[in-house]
Amino acid sequence: MDLYTTINTASTVFANNILSKPEFFIGILVFIGYLLLGKPIYDAFGGFIKAAVGMMIWNVGAGGLVSTFRPILAGLNERFHLNAAVIDPYFGLNAASEAIKMIGMSLSWTMISLMVGFGWNILLVLLRRYTKLRTLFLTGHIMIQQATTCTWILFFAIPELRNFTGALWIGLLVGTYWAVFSNLTVEATEELTDNSGFAIGHQQMFWVWLTSKIAPKLGDPNKSVENVRMPKWLSMFNDNVISTGTLMLLFFGVIMAILGEPYMRGLDKVGFPAALAFPTYILGKSLSFAVYLFILISGVRMFVAELTESFRGISEKILPGALPAVDCAATYGFSSPNTVLFGFLFGCIGQFIAIAGLFIFKAPIMIITGFVPVFFDNATVAVFANKFGGVRAASILPFCTGIVQVLGGGFAAWYFELYKFGGWHGNIDWDTLWPVIGVIMKNFSTPGLILVIVLMLVIPQLQYRRSANKENYFKVEGSEF
Amino acid sequence: MIKVVAACGNGMGSSQIIKMKIAKVFKKLGIDASIDHMSVGEAKSAASGYDVVFCGASLVDNFSVKNNRTKIVGLVNLLSEAEIEAKIIENNIK
Repeated sequence: MDLYTTINTASTVFANNILSKPEFFIGILVFIGYLLLGKPIYDAFGGFIKAAVGMMIWNVGAGGLVSTFRPILAGLNERFHLNAAVIDPYFGLNAASEAIKMIGMSLSWTMISLMVGFGWNILLVLLRRYTKLRTLFLTGHIMIQQATTCTWILFFAIPELRNFTGALWIGLLVGTYWAVFSNLTVEATEELTDNSGFAIGHQQMFWVWLTSKIAPKLGDPNKSVENVRMPKWLSMFNDNVISTGTLMLLFFGVIMAILGEPYMRGLDKVGFPAALAFPTYILGKSLSFAVYLFILISGVRMFVAELTESFRGISEKILPGALPAVDCAATYGFSSPNTVLFGFLFGCIGQFIAIAGLFIFKAPIMIITGFVPVFFDNATVAVFANKFGGVRAASILPFCTGIVQVLGGGFAAWYFELYKFGGWHGNIDWDTLWPVIGVIMKNFSTPGLILVIVLMLVIPQLQYRRSANKENYFKVEGSEF
Repeated sequence: MIKVVAACGNGMGSSQIIKMKIAKVFKKLGIDASIDHMSVGEAKSAASGYDVVFCGASLVDNFSVKNNRTKIVGLVNLLSEAEIEAKIIENNIK
């Protein structure tokens, strides 16, 4: 066997056994990461196992979601010519990864993009004198979700890039978004948290910036939500199991009731035996969504914990003192517990009205409220709105955000064809900014992609130019530049 | 060895941050601890099996553990090692 054949065989074996099996690919990445960090080999081995098992648990949850969803999606389509999508990042993750598999690619490509994006973010901050970027995006589970959705957007928009070059481009695109938009939240977050030394690295960074600009025009920051009395039962929705279960029961209960008992019996012969009453069937079926969602989430949590640990280790070595961009919930301690529920409540109202609107105006797509965007986006918007515009801003802005989440999410699910898999990412940046990016790339192909990256990189330049105190631009509490 | 859990809304982001920060502070104080992280929904039912629950200040009210073992600690700044250290000492955790 000559050298060429050997290399060729080896790469085929790699492609079939590692690249097409993302659970092992990510396991190996974690393993190598731990060794590079100087951890003992047994720690690296443990990391490999936990990352691989976590991803395999995710697959179990995803499989359950797909099979529970299939008859309902089919029923809606057949009876009412309606397509339905849950706007939630985990449903979106599920839909995007199914779509990626459908075109014969695997999530290993996304993992490559994730690494490239992370590295690109580090590089952009290392070159901060030129790029004016200060923040490192470190929220592992968000990076996975965003890299996956971004992979699908790019593979969908530019089919020629469904290859290794494409994976690199996805990394540059999503990494630029991480660096630029987390950097955009620095000033507002510093003001909210009294210089606590972090920025937002999540799903509503563009929207946080926008909120901090609009809120002062809407109300008086001294009239805070803190003084509003909220009904006590609302706080039960802090519990994600209760919230998700309730939302699923509400939406899928109504959908199944509309589809009707005889129809559901015909669709789901195995799951709906003659002895089972319709209400019991609805209860069981609706809550199964919550069950599989939690299986999926616990799998993601397991391998993300390993990944985040490596990311933090690597970043502390290469880039000590960078301002960390973290989960939006880190801001909730700087407002009253009221504010979080306030945002959730007004966001819900906005979403429900918009969903009713889609229905009344016979839109081809039906949106189902998912817990994560309606709770975390709107709570975050409320926290920032309350800080800069008081109770008035904290009610108007989450309400509007709820409406935009449904309309933007509906457009995105339809445009990117993820309604076929019943889900869209759904967080507010992914209902506004990313559909625009996707449309640009779909129409202008690779030049459009390059244009988007360049335009994003211009933002911190403007931000720096407009900052009142240029000397202190890099001297943010928590960073050691 | 004490058993500690870090909790947040979905058990993904913030609880992971808290976990990494408290691990660092416990190490500094020489306290031997095993730390898990999960969502508030899960932690509510699991709390009584732990010595300490760390969560964001706004989530403290979700917990009502009636035993002599479990302490609930709410944090304002999840990233502040100084705050975590002060609260560990204040609550006499060791």
